[in-house]
Amino acid sequence: MMSPHTRPRRRALGLVAGAATFTLVLTACSGGTRVGETTQESAAPEASGAEAGLGDVEGTLRIAYWGSGPRVDLTNGVSDLFVAENPGVTVEPESADFAAYFERLNVQGSSGNLPCVPQMQGRQLASYATQGALMDLDPLIESGAITVPDIPEEVIDTGRGPDGGLYFIPYGAAYDAVEINATLAEQAGVGLPEEGYTWEDFGEYITEAQGSLPEGIAAANLGGGLPNYFIAWTQARGEEMFEDDQIAFSEETLAEFWTFWEDLRNAGATSTAQQRAEEPPQTEQRYVAQGKVMLDSVPGNALTPGQATLSGLAPGQELTTVAMPSGEGGSGNVLFTSGWAISANCDNVPTAAAFIDFWANNDEAAALFASNNGGVTNTRHLQQQLDNPELPALKKHELELYQQVIEAKPPTVSYPAGYQANFETAFNRAYETVSLGGTSPEDAAAAFIAEVNAAFGAQ
Amino acid sequence: MTTKDSRLTGAGVRRRGDRTSVLPDVDDLTDPGSSHGRRASGQARREALAAYGFLTPWLAGMLLLTLGPMAYSLYLSFTRYNLLTPPEWQGLANYQRMLVDPRFKASVGVTLEYVAVAVPLILIVSMLVAMVLNQGIRFLPFYRASFYLPSLVGASVAISMLWRTMFGGDGVFNAFLARLGIEGQSWIGNPDTALYSLVALSVWTFGAPMIIFLAGLRQVPKELYEAAMVDGAGPLRRFFSITLPTLTPLIFFNVLLTTVNAFQAFTPAYVISNGNGGPLDSTLFYTLYLYQRGFTQLEMGYASAMAWALTVVLGLFTAFMFATARFWVYYGDER
Amino acid sequence: MTTATPSPTSATPALLRPVFPRRPSRNRVVISLARHLSLLLVLVVVLYPLLWMAGASVRPSNEAFGTLGLWPSNFTLENYATGWSYGSLNFSRYFVNSLVISVLCIIGNVVSCSLAAYAFARLEFPFKRVMFALMLGTLLLPYHVTLVPQYVLFNNLAWINTILPLTVPKFLATDAFFIFLMVQFIRTLPRELDDAARLDGCGHVGIFRRVILPLSLPALGTTALFTFIRTWDDFLGPLLYLNDPAKWTVTQGLNGFLDATGESAFGPLFAMATLSLAPIVGFFLVAQKLLIEGIATSGLK
Repeated sequence: MMSPHTRPRRRALGLVAGAATFTLVLTACSGGTRVGETTQESAAPEASGAEAGLGDVEGTLRIAYWGSGPRVDLTNGVSDLFVAENPGVTVEPESADFAAYFERLNVQGSSGNLPCVPQMQGRQLASYATQGALMDLDPLIESGAITVPDIPEEVIDTGRGPDGGLYFIPYGAAYDAVEINATLAEQAGVGLPEEGYTWEDFGEYITEAQGSLPEGIAAANLGGGLPNYFIAWTQARGEEMFEDDQIAFSEETLAEFWTFWEDLRNAGATSTAQQRAEEPPQTEQRYVAQGKVMLDSVPGNALTPGQATLSGLAPGQELTTVAMPSGEGGSGNVLFTSGWAISANCDNVPTAAAFIDFWANNDEAAALFASNNGGVTNTRHLQQQLDNPELPALKKHELELYQQVIEAKPPTVSYPAGYQANFETAFNRAYETVSLGGTSPEDAAAAFIAEVNAAFGAQ
Repeated sequence: MTTKDSRLTGAGVRRRGDRTSVLPDVDDLTDPGSSHGRRASGQARREALAAYGFLTPWLAGMLLLTLGPMAYSLYLSFTRYNLLTPPEWQGLANYQRMLVDPRFKASVGVTLEYVAVAVPLILIVSMLVAMVLNQGIRFLPFYRASFYLPSLVGASVAISMLWRTMFGGDGVFNAFLARLGIEGQSWIGNPDTALYSLVALSVWTFGAPMIIFLAGLRQVPKELYEAAMVDGAGPLRRFFSITLPTLTPLIFFNVLLTTVNAFQAFTPAYVISNGNGGPLDSTLFYTLYLYQRGFTQLEMGYASAMAWALTVVLGLFTAFMFATARFWVYYGDER
Repeated sequence: MTTATPSPTSATPALLRPVFPRRPSRNRVVISLARHLSLLLVLVVVLYPLLWMAGASVRPSNEAFGTLGLWPSNFTLENYATGWSYGSLNFSRYFVNSLVISVLCIIGNVVSCSLAAYAFARLEFPFKRVMFALMLGTLLLPYHVTLVPQYVLFNNLAWINTILPLTVPKFLATDAFFIFLMVQFIRTLPRELDDAARLDGCGHVGIFRRVILPLSLPALGTTALFTFIRTWDDFLGPLLYLNDPAKWTVTQGLNGFLDATGESAFGPLFAMATLSLAPIVGFFLVAQKLLIEGIATSGLK
């Protein structure tokens, strides 16, 4: 029934070899253009000196940013205004939500195909700036291609990379705040924390509130895994977060931070570690917006959407935000800015520069965008928005708190390359080893610092 | 065309004992549908020519689109590559690093546990449902569509919210337990149970293997059952001597592919844990960790090394499956 | 023809019994009822999450969460209206785009994979084992690591921002899953059929067209269905290759409702997510009638 058939093994080997050779050829082609070795058009921007970024504003301009529905409309609206003022320019926008945005950016970077003007944030900046993917914008400011007269120096500085170069021009500045369900706080008889409250006050405030809150509602959302809380903690102590791309705060500082939260958690004043582990990231789904906890740390611009959700679930309850706790070392507030960069492979630098300049200075554009991605960094625009009688109350509160933060001249945290990937996710995981895994805060702090420093060192 | 008679003699009804006499030689293992008798060389050449004709699109795709990227990723596995600057050769460093990376070990553990639990569950459930649905049952299209519905939903954010609604601390499952007087917990937030909530998710979307089984069951010729009934075979005997053997090529396919997919499982954990594999790395699937390394930590060289290590393991597994296939897979094209 | 062997095991899976009722009896009604009841019970569990989503899509957006019940107290279709063209999102366009891509992918996969599968399943040719192993090998490598090399390749071809990177590979049978699936299906078909056709004067093309294809309808249907689902639900591919908002697919549109750094719109998200199920459910219903049921009655008799 069965018959042996001949199998030309040697020829089989030959084919494999052939395919492999072909593959190598293909690989060689696909190695193609890369960020480091940019092509002729982008001709080293530094070289043009005084003329940097000056030239005809025309042609197509690829821009990319993160955001959903409303922000997409507003951003594209500003692009339309820019095009109206610069006929002959076409803006091609690419948007996606935050995580997907950076995922795509990384892949685009692999083939030297970054958009001309990508949006950047301080926390990710170094990963791109240190690899030569972005253009240093200082020469463009010197040449006048980009002007930033109304943006405070310390805000501009948040766009600097580890080497001191300026890699993006911040247009919006977010800050983290403590969001409090004022209605619940009132019912619990604790009101709001006083201005200038310390971390110690904060702990007492939470403990006190827990005593009088309805059953099932925790005073605070467990915050030991939130890096931004911890940044506030170090700032209040006057400590640096990072230095020379390594962790600069001490093990004790971190261990005490985690002990602070462990004490509250063990006293039943926070959500449980398990609840915290399953909390979704979207503003509307956070426990504080759902009325399940009395307070949490959120970005300042989360107030409006949070309130909208809470009003649907617990009509009548009101949210508000207050500044982060402070300490002897200063206030705990820092800025998280977003802004526009120019990629090293951009072949239309003059238009890119004009676009960024437009965002930084145009009144109409700023009024349209209305601080959708953090408070507008141009102080003139900020005042214009605050003076606008039609500004919704919550947005006004958000911007006033921003003004208060900015007047205190907050310190700039310079994030090492790989900060978000290596520090932020590891931070939450490390705290989980404490809150879920039973490791002591001291051991967890030591392990965390060693792990992160090793990861930073390998960047 | 004489289909009916040949169908009867061709397919599955075969004693286990008979198998040995029709066993193909060992060379035939990875060689589906081979061994079709001796032929004149001219005919063989014509057949080979025809085969390459049929294979032209596939060959073109393989050479132009698939092999290049695969080989390039193999090359990357020996380099340091952050996507933004050209890769730097560093030999076996990435492979050595896996041996000392505690999170790598954690991800291997998680993945093995997931494979061991989810694969049998998915296969058994899909097989059972397919068989129930294969009967002459009323409203069959309705049932079939309903059971398949969950598999149609893409792994979107919507799914992660649904799953939280099911297995979260305030979820449906706990509400159900509360009715029974049992106090629940957060099944997603507890590192001891989080993986099992993902197993539940993958069993919920068991539709793909079910459809394959169902399509296979529908191919079992009714004549075989009729003939067996005439011979006085009971239902169980008919199942084991007709249904099961005819289905073996598809069981083989489903076992192999479900296992491979489980080893490569990514989306459930990515969606439910927001990509971080938490809590406490309890849902850190192998490919999720690989993805974190490659795309968020920009260590594409290390990620590629992890991918190729997995590929080698899966290759061994596949080879093992094919090696055992001759003992239990019955093809209709053998005689 | 050989007779059936005695069953090698004594375990009796309860569900198997009713498959072949020995003789009609009054018990049948009871059994049938019990069967339907248990199926329905399982269905409730299986479908609950989806019903919940459908329920959430007809609740006011800010009430989307916080209830486990299914029926909304404040029924509204507002989410569907707002979701369909939410801000710059334009779902009529996304549905068309997704459909075009899906249809192309289905055609590509069905044609190219069945051609390759026929060769692997039925023909003898040099290097067959090597090629088959290679084909399986492409299934085993996690796709994340070929993503970047592929992007580089398509970028060099200037295919970014076109649907070519998403569709052309399907016409070149790059989905080994479907080739393998069809090989397994074709191999359940007896070879006597080919021989008979050969006697009737058919060549390989004839056998493929007249024998294998008609008998492989379930496999082709399965391939079409799976391709549709995978393409329709794919997010990463469109995200990387379709940057121009006018070329977006439904999954990109759904992603556009969410933003961890700003506002998200859950009501419209659930509405559009529910709606996006409609085409695949419709396709499935049509496909199962035509292909899965059709074969049992007409294909082999």
